[in-house]
Amino acid sequence: MPERVRQLLPSVLSVLLALGVCWVLIALTLEPGTATDAYLQMLWGGIGNWPAYLDGAAATVITRPLGESAMKAALLTLTGLSVAVAFKVGLFNIGAQGQMLLGALAAAVVGAQVSLPGALHVPAALLGAALAGAAWAGIAGLLRIYRGVHEVISTIMLNWVALSLVDNWLVVGPLRGAAEGGQSITGTAEIQATAVLPRLLGEGSRLNLGFPLALVAALAVWVWLTRTRSGFETRAVGLGAEAARAAGIPVARRMGLAMALAGAMAGLAGAVLVLGTEGRYPGTLGAPYGFDGIAIALIGNNHPLGATVSALFFGVLRAGGTRMQLLGVHKSFPELIQGLALLFVAGRMVWLAVLRRRSVAPAASAEVPRA
Amino acid sequence: MLEVIHSLLFSTLDAAPALIFAALGAVLSERAGVIAVGMEGMMRVGAFCAAVAALTMPTPLAVVMGMLAGAALAGVHGFLSIRWRSDQVVSGIALNLVALAGGTFLLESLYGPNGTPPIQQLTRWNLPGLSAVPVLGALSGHSAPTYLALLLPFAFQGLLTRTPLGLRLRAVGDKPQAVATLGLSVSALRWGAVLGSGLLAGLGGAVLSTAVLDRFEQHTPAGLGFMALAAMVFGRWTPVGAFLAATFFAFGNALRIGLVSSAPGLVELIPQGVLLALPYLLTLGVLTLQGQRSSAPAALGTPYEQESR
Amino acid sequence: MHRGELLAVVGENGAGKSSLMNVLYGLYQPDAGVLSLDGQPVRFKSPRDAIARGIGMVHQHFMLVPTLSVAENVVLGREPTRHGLLDLERAVREVSATCARFGFQLEPRARVDTLSVGSQQKVEIVKALHRGAQVLILDEPTAVLTPQESDELARVMRGLVAQGHTVVLISHKLKEVLGVADRIAVMRRGRCVAEVRAADTTAEQLAALMVGEGPRAPAAAAPASAVSQAPGEPLLDVRGLQATGDNGRPALRGVDLEVRAGEIVGIAGVDGNGQRELAEVLTGLRSLTSGSGTLLGGPLGGLTPAQARTRGVGHIPEDRHHRAVVKALSVEENVALGRHTRPPFAKGPWIDFKGRRERTRALTVAYDVRPPDPEVALRALSGGNQQKVVVARELDARPRLLVVVQPTRGLDVGAVAQVHAKLREARDQGTGVLLVSLDLEEVLALSDRVYVFFEGRVTGHFPRHAFDERELGRRMLGTLEPGHA
Repeated sequence: MPERVRQLLPSVLSVLLALGVCWVLIALTLEPGTATDAYLQMLWGGIGNWPAYLDGAAATVITRPLGESAMKAALLTLTGLSVAVAFKVGLFNIGAQGQMLLGALAAAVVGAQVSLPGALHVPAALLGAALAGAAWAGIAGLLRIYRGVHEVISTIMLNWVALSLVDNWLVVGPLRGAAEGGQSITGTAEIQATAVLPRLLGEGSRLNLGFPLALVAALAVWVWLTRTRSGFETRAVGLGAEAARAAGIPVARRMGLAMALAGAMAGLAGAVLVLGTEGRYPGTLGAPYGFDGIAIALIGNNHPLGATVSALFFGVLRAGGTRMQLLGVHKSFPELIQGLALLFVAGRMVWLAVLRRRSVAPAASAEVPRA
Repeated sequence: MLEVIHSLLFSTLDAAPALIFAALGAVLSERAGVIAVGMEGMMRVGAFCAAVAALTMPTPLAVVMGMLAGAALAGVHGFLSIRWRSDQVVSGIALNLVALAGGTFLLESLYGPNGTPPIQQLTRWNLPGLSAVPVLGALSGHSAPTYLALLLPFAFQGLLTRTPLGLRLRAVGDKPQAVATLGLSVSALRWGAVLGSGLLAGLGGAVLSTAVLDRFEQHTPAGLGFMALAAMVFGRWTPVGAFLAATFFAFGNALRIGLVSSAPGLVELIPQGVLLALPYLLTLGVLTLQGQRSSAPAALGTPYEQESR
Repeated sequence: MHRGELLAVVGENGAGKSSLMNVLYGLYQPDAGVLSLDGQPVRFKSPRDAIARGIGMVHQHFMLVPTLSVAENVVLGREPTRHGLLDLERAVREVSATCARFGFQLEPRARVDTLSVGSQQKVEIVKALHRGAQVLILDEPTAVLTPQESDELARVMRGLVAQGHTVVLISHKLKEVLGVADRIAVMRRGRCVAEVRAADTTAEQLAALMVGEGPRAPAAAAPASAVSQAPGEPLLDVRGLQATGDNGRPALRGVDLEVRAGEIVGIAGVDGNGQRELAEVLTGLRSLTSGSGTLLGGPLGGLTPAQARTRGVGHIPEDRHHRAVVKALSVEENVALGRHTRPPFAKGPWIDFKGRRERTRALTVAYDVRPPDPEVALRALSGGNQQKVVVARELDARPRLLVVVQPTRGLDVGAVAQVHAKLREARDQGTGVLLVSLDLEEVLALSDRVYVFFEGRVTGHFPRHAFDERELGRRMLGTLEPGHA
């Protein structure tokens, strides 16, 4: 079996297995026919109801679902990239959620409180979000480099600090939007029209500039990692820090910069959420896209393009999930599929052992010690 | 004034046990060398199963069901990270996601968005004689888990420092190879610790459903599993330390809630968000000052491989 | 083996000594064959069985829990209890008793990570004896010891044998083995090829048996033909160099030395006498604490690994897996490592894939790397081929000074010969080579001059015509006052 296929197979099989397990779950709680129907609805809800369109329905039966999928996929791609980039330098970024919150807040502030011409406002807001996310992730990077604090612990802590400070203080306190027309609002003030990410398929679809932005980001990260000197150094640090140091690579700088880039990606996700769909930082930014990013990255084998593919897939599932509610299946269902898929990916060693057993003589497969 | 202290203590003692149990579970798992990011998920499963079980059986028995459910999830964690040497953080995060989404899915499918139907709470015990004493009276009127939470940390500390099993647990977290060469089973010790941590996290979750609330709510445990990790780190990976940290965090929370209702002016001065962030900020501060390596188990997070002597 | 004797098992790296002993100790399971103890066939499923039958093992890398006390480490797994609780007082008493019986001086309450390496090894031995070991296996016990500690260990081993214990000593240091063992088994490629009485053999005979083809390796056999012509300009000149080791203790205590262009300068010494730290200082991996030096026209203080490379220092480190290569990267990526910012490996900020591929192809051919595939992950190569990649990379950079540490450890005879030839070739083209090796024969075969290190100081300096193995050996053990021959 070619190496590339062997790398990919556990992820694909995990996703399929998760889909299968969840089908059984619906079949058990409701009934088998419903389960299949629900999956179909999820598909139409994700990629557009093509049968209806071909029967003469308006184009929005396609563009609206695609817009929803693209919007979710954009966020998942960016947070997935955040986790994947950190992985490349050997760090486990659990903190994409907190970095995303900070990015969303920065985008909301720049979008609402700075006045800039249209061509500059969106880039400025995006930049602000990227910097905020990078700074937040940078704390974890510095703690790791200079104090030896494991990034898993520090990013978990930073997530909760960010959540508490932003949702429970800044957004309801100093940065709370002014009452508009006598009505008090929750969250920050509405962003200015110049800061809104333009929609690409008309008002009927929420597909906005954030989606191509996420794809470009993924491509850029991939090119950087595989084609440039500094990307090579980053990977070398992740795969063998001591050898990288001996080769003259500035290990601390690479770690710090990769962590900052990871934060910037998560920050951008926050900006896309605020500038593209929410219009401001709402009372609470409930969506845990930052945590989803961990699953997206790992299912995508920590490869920038792999993460993008997995984000597209789960974007479609997520968008389609709302349609499943029609059949009495809760919309959190795609998240369950995603969680199970990650669980099965975590059992990667099991997959590899099973696959090896298939392709090589059975006796040679019992290599795993009784640890 | 005494009344204020009394009610503060009382609500601390009511709220702390869930956090204490989870923090002890985290200590148990990590002292044996297995990272405990899955606490949140195990608590959630424990809370859900206890609430559902309590609909059909006596509440104390339902709590046991919650513990077993936590242990079952821990069993998956053990299977992946001990048996198959998967990345312990990945496995823990995956369990959290599954528990989060699965809990929501099952809840909504079975009972709707408002949580499970109300259940019989655990009986509160009034300690005769004590209830009348000022301040100390706050000790009376809690359910059994509170009293267990006050005793267990010390028993656990004793186990860790005073018994052969504790010695072996500490050894397996610091240098599993040494344990293996003496003919002891690294995986058995780690399995025991991981299942034990699942029982404790499940208990923590069950306490939330059966003592703090009277049902399973959508967002349970709302990050308490992560705060348990903070308490573990803050308590420098010792049971009594984690207990003190957890109690301190719970007290801070009770104080915050008390302030919001009684002294809103003060909350203007120190925003709630800052107070909410305080446990995590303090934990980060401790880590920054002393570095992690000084107190974390040396072999934490490294799967034991026989081949790599 | 017999009761009450000291059997040594010798063999080259990879000959299967350690694997055999791990089977004996129950850590590995034999694929085939029978193990007999006292005439009965036994099968150890785990170390527990082996311990029960009176076998104890002291591993090359200590199996001690650093955060526990001596007593806790010793009783771990068979702890004395009172009412179910750990009886630490009794543990301390028991351990003291065991120590007293065998003449060890150890403080049972001391934390293991505060002890010296020699003391930690005693803890390991006490651990085995405390479990009633009649047969004690020591795997490369002197690799980490100072000469004094090694002597002490030899006394301990003889003492144990005198008390009726059986000691199995695994080693590749022939002289040491000859001095202490009763009987010697020689292993080669997983087979026991000979068993001799120590009194009836010599180091030369043993070496021949270990290698299996006449007198030792080509390295030693190669005539000293390729002696340096005339050394050129000084590349490295250090005075009073001091540096601290990983354990926080001084590792270099005032070293003076010089390396010129076009010569191979050997550093001889027992492991752990500062050679490793010297190599690290010269390559920018360790900072010096005092002293001064000039390295390729620049100061030695504050040197970073990147600066060292820019000045023209090449480095073939001792720990290949850890320091020289990234095994998950491809062969060509490993060839680029350290030079990845310069042509032909880079064009501006971009990787030059074509240039890298071509250069790697050329090197795999020139150095006979197999398979000659630049794209394959390095970990798919054998150890010898991995080392060829490292040597190829470092020499291809045309270093002015090449720091080489243990370049042939674990390699087979053919690869050893090739590496040696390449080092001579580099010397002949004007590179200054600093060679650190624990293998005295290798040092003597290659070097034009040799410095002897003992406890972080230079205790001898010999030009090639004055090489005298016995004299060098004495200096390595620090039995003479520092001086120059």
